[in-house]
Amino acid sequence: MTSSRTLQIFLGLYISIFFLYLFGPLIIMSVTAFNSAEFPSISPWECFSFRWFNEGKIAYDGQRLAGLAVDRDLHVGFLTSLFIALGVVTLSVPIGMSAAIVLTQVHSKLRTLFYSMSIMPVLFPGVVIGISTVVLWDRIAGIGGDGVISDLGRNGIFLTILGQTCFISTYCFLIFVARLQRFDSTQEEAALDLGASQTQVFIKILIPYLMPAIGSSAVIAFLASFENYNTTVFSILSEQTLTTVIATKVRLGISPAISALAFIIICLTLVAAISYEFFRRRQEQKKARESTAKMYIEISSDRLKDDEQKAFVIPKSIFVFLFILLIGIIGWQQIIKNNLYGAECIAKAENAKKSNFADQLKLLQNNAATIESEGAEGGTGSTNEYNDIFGDPNLFKNFGGFDN
Amino acid sequence: MGGFIKKNGSVVSTFFLVAITFWFVFLILIPQLYMLDLSFRPNLPPLLRGGPDDVYTLTHYKHFIFGSETSKDTYNYVDIGVFVDTIGIAILVTIINLCFCYPIAFYIAKLATPSATRLLILALIIPFWINELLRSFAIRILFAGEGVINNLLLEIGLLDVAVNFIALDIALYTGLTYAYILLMIFPLYNALETLDTNQLEAAKDLGSSTLRTHWRIVIPHAKAGIASGSTMVFMLTAGALATPIVLSSPNTFWFTQLIYQWFNMNDNWSRGSAYSIILLVVSVAFVLLMMRLFKVTIGEVVR
Repeated sequence: MTSSRTLQIFLGLYISIFFLYLFGPLIIMSVTAFNSAEFPSISPWECFSFRWFNEGKIAYDGQRLAGLAVDRDLHVGFLTSLFIALGVVTLSVPIGMSAAIVLTQVHSKLRTLFYSMSIMPVLFPGVVIGISTVVLWDRIAGIGGDGVISDLGRNGIFLTILGQTCFISTYCFLIFVARLQRFDSTQEEAALDLGASQTQVFIKILIPYLMPAIGSSAVIAFLASFENYNTTVFSILSEQTLTTVIATKVRLGISPAISALAFIIICLTLVAAISYEFFRRRQEQKKARESTAKMYIEISSDRLKDDEQKAFVIPKSIFVFLFILLIGIIGWQQIIKNNLYGAECIAKAENAKKSNFADQLKLLQNNAATIESEGAEGGTGSTNEYNDIFGDPNLFKNFGGFDN
Repeated sequence: MGGFIKKNGSVVSTFFLVAITFWFVFLILIPQLYMLDLSFRPNLPPLLRGGPDDVYTLTHYKHFIFGSETSKDTYNYVDIGVFVDTIGIAILVTIINLCFCYPIAFYIAKLATPSATRLLILALIIPFWINELLRSFAIRILFAGEGVINNLLLEIGLLDVAVNFIALDIALYTGLTYAYILLMIFPLYNALETLDTNQLEAAKDLGSSTLRTHWRIVIPHAKAGIASGSTMVFMLTAGALATPIVLSSPNTFWFTQLIYQWFNMNDNWSRGSAYSIILLVVSVAFVLLMMRLFKVTIGEVVR
């Protein structure tokens, strides 16, 4: 018995570590978004601030660290990504659906070939798909002269939509295949026997049956397109999407504004996931209630009905929500109390940094002075100019005033 | 063909045929074939294309193996080294992910209560929808010179000086393992879920140890999941670009970065194509190897 107990403890520990590994980095990144320091970190905590969501700041080395609200590249990239994702959804959902329906109609050898062909794009590395699209369309544009085709072939957005559609169609295809496996084809036959045309059958029976798959494949296609980088970076040419903007930013230097962006995305994902789960539970409860209602009618017994009139039940999730709210309020009060938020704190931190800077300056001045005195002994006296520069009290007076 | 049109009606048939032809021919076949063609051609400025110099050649593949003609080495050690590193590390990451995920997948599929299962799966999906670049960025914050891990270790006293995790590539390997871990869990989970719990109990009743039960019953049952997860993780790791861009040290290259360089910085598209073909061949070879090794069909690999 003890061995199974220790095994259980081990397993519990293992699972906690696993989820810590999964969520830890994301949580820490989210927290760094609220630190006012230029480098995304936790331990030298300066102030609690929203500056990375708003205007950002200019660092002492002159690098401009734009916040989310003022970052034009990011906004343009976001809109481009949105446009591309919509384009990919409109192309890949019909393609995936057609391929899945046709798969149910072809047989034997052809079927294997068809299936292999459909899932092949997933087996290609994303970079390869991006490169092949660009290479081909550059050639087409070269042949096409100055017409529309040439313009299209050199349009990064168009190429990206095509490149992403190539493999995202496979995702949609797989979703539709899974749904069609449970399709009862006698429905179609019945409709045909009753005199419906094939087109009518397609619109009135198959499409409504596939509606959930259409919805989920559209969502998957949208998300997959939105977060794609490997294909996009090649096929986007001179345009910018959200992911390529992020990649450029990360490569140039790491800024807490990226943490802020990640925090927003994490929150959106969380909200979407929770509401999806909530919605699904709702629906399941509704289904269960309907089936019990049916049961009442069937056995027509009033005895069971007593249970139905249960008063409003408070869902347990409310307590979790209240708990989080409480923690949030207490934490916020602590932050205010310890003066870790607001202009005052930021001013203090900046002053500390400035005085640090001033110390270094003083050291520099001293060094210059020693060099000068040494130089004076040596008889050159050429360091006087430098001394003047460092000695000028007005020179660095306004330094550190980049903040606004 | 006639039967096909009869079955679907002419309007719907046309729609199907157009959509599928567009996909298969214009999006899948022609781009890949054209890229293959380009990889055998010399790198010429646009004006000279189609001229007398535009003949098939193996220059780019030769360059990958033997290096440029001016170099003194017999082989192109740099590029081959990058390639071998990439493949080797991708295999290593795949194995680590498999070992790491197997207990979790087994727990979720067989031991957890239904409501816990649902919650855990939801919790697994959430990080998956966050951009790969941002997840790599999170790892970078952890491992940076003044990052959380360094500060923590310094505080405890395990370290005297901060370790440069990024230069040691520890950050890169962690990031790669982190990036695709969920693509290992889900196939494993799907495979294990279909395992009949009675089989486990029977094995236990017959006196089999836990390890033996796993080795003889659970793992053989999950082989399709293992094959599928391994293929996905390997291919995405070998073809990863976002994570190496964020996390690799300046003197480490991932093979995709090499392709990127030939393509975007050196403007040698045909060489970039040749290198892409090499990557593609390796990926497809790995899929075939997995299919052979685990005796599964391609349909079971991609799900």
